[in-house]
Amino acid sequence: MQPRIKQFPQLSSEALANNQIQKNLLGLYDGFHKARISASEATPNWDELSDRGRAIKEHTIENLDYYLEMVERTVTAAGGKVFFAKDAAEANKYVVDIAKARGVKLVIKGKSMVSEEMGLNHELEKAGIEPVETDLGEYIIQLAGETPFHIIAPAIHKSKEEVSDLFQEKLGTPPMTEITDLAMEARRQLRSKFINADMGITGANFIVAETGTVALVTNEGNGRMSSSMPKLHIAITGMEKVVPSIEDLGIMLRLLIRSATGQRISSYVTTITGPRKQDDEDGPEEFHLVLVDNGRSKLLADPAMRESLYCIRCGACLNACPVYRKVGGHAYGWVYPGPIGAIISPMLTGLSDGKDLPYASSLCGACKEACPVKINIPRMLLYMRHQLAEGDNYPEHKTAPFSEAMTFKLWRFALSSSLGLRVFGGMARILQKLVAKDGRITKLPPPLSNWSKLRTFPALASKPFRSRWKG
Amino acid sequence: MAASSGQVKASLFVTCIIDQFYPEVGESTVRVLQRLGVELDFPQAQTCCGQPAFNAGFWSDAKPLARRVLDQFQHSEYVVVPSGSCATMIRIYYPELFHDEPESLQKARSLAERTYEFSEFIVDVLGITDVRHLIGDAAQTDMQKVTYHESCHLRRELGATTQSRALINALPNVELVEMDQAEVCCGFGGTFSVKYPEISGAMLQDKLDRIGSTGASSVVACDCSCLMQIGGGLEKAGSGVQSVHLAELMDDAIGQKPRANG
Amino acid sequence: MDSKEFIANVRRSLGREAGAPPPAPPDATYLALSNQQVKSKAQAISRDLEANADEYMALLEKSAEEAGWRVARCENATEAANHILNIVRDVEATSVLFSGHSALDDLHLDAALSGTGVQLEAMVLDDNSDKKAQRDDFRQKAINADIGITGVDYAVAETGTAVLLAQKGVSRVVSLLPPVHIAVVEKGQVLPSLDELFTLRRKEFLNDKLGSYMNLISGPSRSADIEYQIVTGVHGPGEVHMVLIG
Repeated sequence: MQPRIKQFPQLSSEALANNQIQKNLLGLYDGFHKARISASEATPNWDELSDRGRAIKEHTIENLDYYLEMVERTVTAAGGKVFFAKDAAEANKYVVDIAKARGVKLVIKGKSMVSEEMGLNHELEKAGIEPVETDLGEYIIQLAGETPFHIIAPAIHKSKEEVSDLFQEKLGTPPMTEITDLAMEARRQLRSKFINADMGITGANFIVAETGTVALVTNEGNGRMSSSMPKLHIAITGMEKVVPSIEDLGIMLRLLIRSATGQRISSYVTTITGPRKQDDEDGPEEFHLVLVDNGRSKLLADPAMRESLYCIRCGACLNACPVYRKVGGHAYGWVYPGPIGAIISPMLTGLSDGKDLPYASSLCGACKEACPVKINIPRMLLYMRHQLAEGDNYPEHKTAPFSEAMTFKLWRFALSSSLGLRVFGGMARILQKLVAKDGRITKLPPPLSNWSKLRTFPALASKPFRSRWKG
Repeated sequence: MAASSGQVKASLFVTCIIDQFYPEVGESTVRVLQRLGVELDFPQAQTCCGQPAFNAGFWSDAKPLARRVLDQFQHSEYVVVPSGSCATMIRIYYPELFHDEPESLQKARSLAERTYEFSEFIVDVLGITDVRHLIGDAAQTDMQKVTYHESCHLRRELGATTQSRALINALPNVELVEMDQAEVCCGFGGTFSVKYPEISGAMLQDKLDRIGSTGASSVVACDCSCLMQIGGGLEKAGSGVQSVHLAELMDDAIGQKPRANG
Repeated sequence: MDSKEFIANVRRSLGREAGAPPPAPPDATYLALSNQQVKSKAQAISRDLEANADEYMALLEKSAEEAGWRVARCENATEAANHILNIVRDVEATSVLFSGHSALDDLHLDAALSGTGVQLEAMVLDDNSDKKAQRDDFRQKAINADIGITGVDYAVAETGTAVLLAQKGVSRVVSLLPPVHIAVVEKGQVLPSLDELFTLRRKEFLNDKLGSYMNLISGPSRSADIEYQIVTGVHGPGEVHMVLIG
């Protein structure tokens, strides 16, 4: 998917002005966010579970080479094939080549964020193959030609009226006012696709290295369809999704599902170990696992950013983020929105292109509080800002404006001594007489004028605290 | 951790924002702590903890300011900071900033152990929550309804979620009415508020609406950066709701604050 | 990319040289357990299941309801068969499929449903006939069936879950394609939590019996993708029944 992360200011502005988006975003706090909190409170020892989940991910990422070798061995032993894709282009080529070789005409897709990263659907279409998204939210945005708005609920920004209009336009259906009817229409439309598909493509929520097993977490059943009905199943995901043991799944599934939707467990958890066995009644004859790097080794190589790879894609940070809850997913311009997107999108697609993302945060830390594997997102946002400002480790991305750098040099100079503070403070007090009245400033001069649209500003006190202190 | 007898000695890190913009909050902080038996000193050479430059990514500008703090407070038994974000800078981020400078790192770790935000210090170090015995005759006796905004760093970096509320609840002339989403960010975030004013403004508007819904006459917080954002918004909107630092609220109850004339 | 090259790149990114010894798994991951420890755990779990079968069944009854199953507690196979007959009538089913789980044998479904005019099909391949033709036939039947009836391989009390393994006699789609699914659970099949389930599966893996496919089913198919409103039956069964025997 082509990144538009450079356009954050414009896209976020548009989102703020869009009443439908604002209305739908309201549901996040009382809905997913509170549901997660309830679920975590209802789970005994949630905090311990969380620590343990983090420890599992930390260990796996620190030893990712070892575990990827294990995955290759075990999936192969189970009769599947593993392909390691350096980048999106390689991954796309692998999938398209197989599809072409097997004469695939129709592909059904379960939700896969990595396939969005790859722009896989576009590549399949170019090869004359029809990819059909089967997750209800993904189906809707595929019809609309849009990108996902939220990691868990990709079409949550749409009203039922918009969905009805969309179906009318793209499917020729009559207008529908009930959400149940819309959903049933999607079921009807997708039924024949499930039945006739030549290939199923899914993501993978976890890959168990020990057994060579892919775990899929879904509520709809489209993941089951995609891995049961067609003759050929390909699971695609990022190389970081590995966990060591099948026994670790209990912990990871609780953390993922309760953080994503607040459910104790999703309607379906499906574990897939290779293609069908000889005695199986049905199931794909061929199973492929595609593990994608696409820049993740860059995150791996930077110890300050490595923990971003612990992410289990639950979306809790989105729901907790007061900025995301105002601007929604499209503003972040790529596959991954919200706090986790603010970190990985620039790192994966171009740090200075994405320079707004680390700064478009008040560093409130709600994301860190929400994360089931305790990823310290604010720490990484600060690190990225530091790279943009001073470029220690990424000199090519040192792109902060000269004026900003100078401002802080000046500010540091002024505050390097209490005398400096007195002198500069004195000067500022004189200047502020131009704009201050009764201790308040209603219009700050540029570049601070943005403040004054919604707020007054205090004038510098005529006598600062330090002058009032009696020792 | 309670200081049972003998005076607790502490140094005040007043923060640049209070020093320059809200000196009366600094004065309230001093009066309250002194009333609670703290022997307070104020290292005059202090300026700023360096957080603005740090948050903007200019760590080479933040470091010299941080080093000054490390030196100025080297010998303080305790350092009290009437700001969750500045206390966070000192306690949480200084050790990170100096992770590869052994000498400064050692000082930073030592300072981190001695640094407390105002409400943390009163409840966790002095062991005091109920200050009713200190309420003088001249103190406010009118009942007032207040609501509380939970500052982000205080909650999520320092983990201090109960102390401030306990102190407010213990004041007899104060009724605490919780607002919806009290823990949600006010939208200040330093330069965020001017770089992304629309988003910051939208977050602020939500906060103002929720404050309004409580019917409280004041909103209380432990950070003047939040109060600058919220107070600025309340004033621009012409709302009569006051924005008050916890130290001021307590000072009204127990301090011997000179009665203001207006 | 060649897997060796890919993994070498990962190793380099981690700042390590090739030939580093494999890591000792920390206690946080269950990989730290030895095979013997896993087998002992599994044995302990099996003993525990038997000893506490009643308690776990009662917990499952509650959690399955909470997960959205319509739950019926039956004393014996006859009661269960009757209950299923009622469901078949309520649904006005004309075509019902059932799997080869042994729990269903005791129900004598063909007898229970005889006289209803319902077409009852077993989803089990006949080894003597053309397998491909049978598979295609079953698939078509599954596509058109009104109800799929299965036993379970395990149930999980913590989450209200029926666990089905793909195996001889149990197709992947009998519990997926028909709009109604009935899962029959016998006493002694109920595990207290997800952890026991994965320990037992791990033991099976160590015995080379993991199998290719396992489904944890916890209620009807659901989605909240449009305006947060929950709808069921897109795309799996919208109506799910758990029949608990014993």
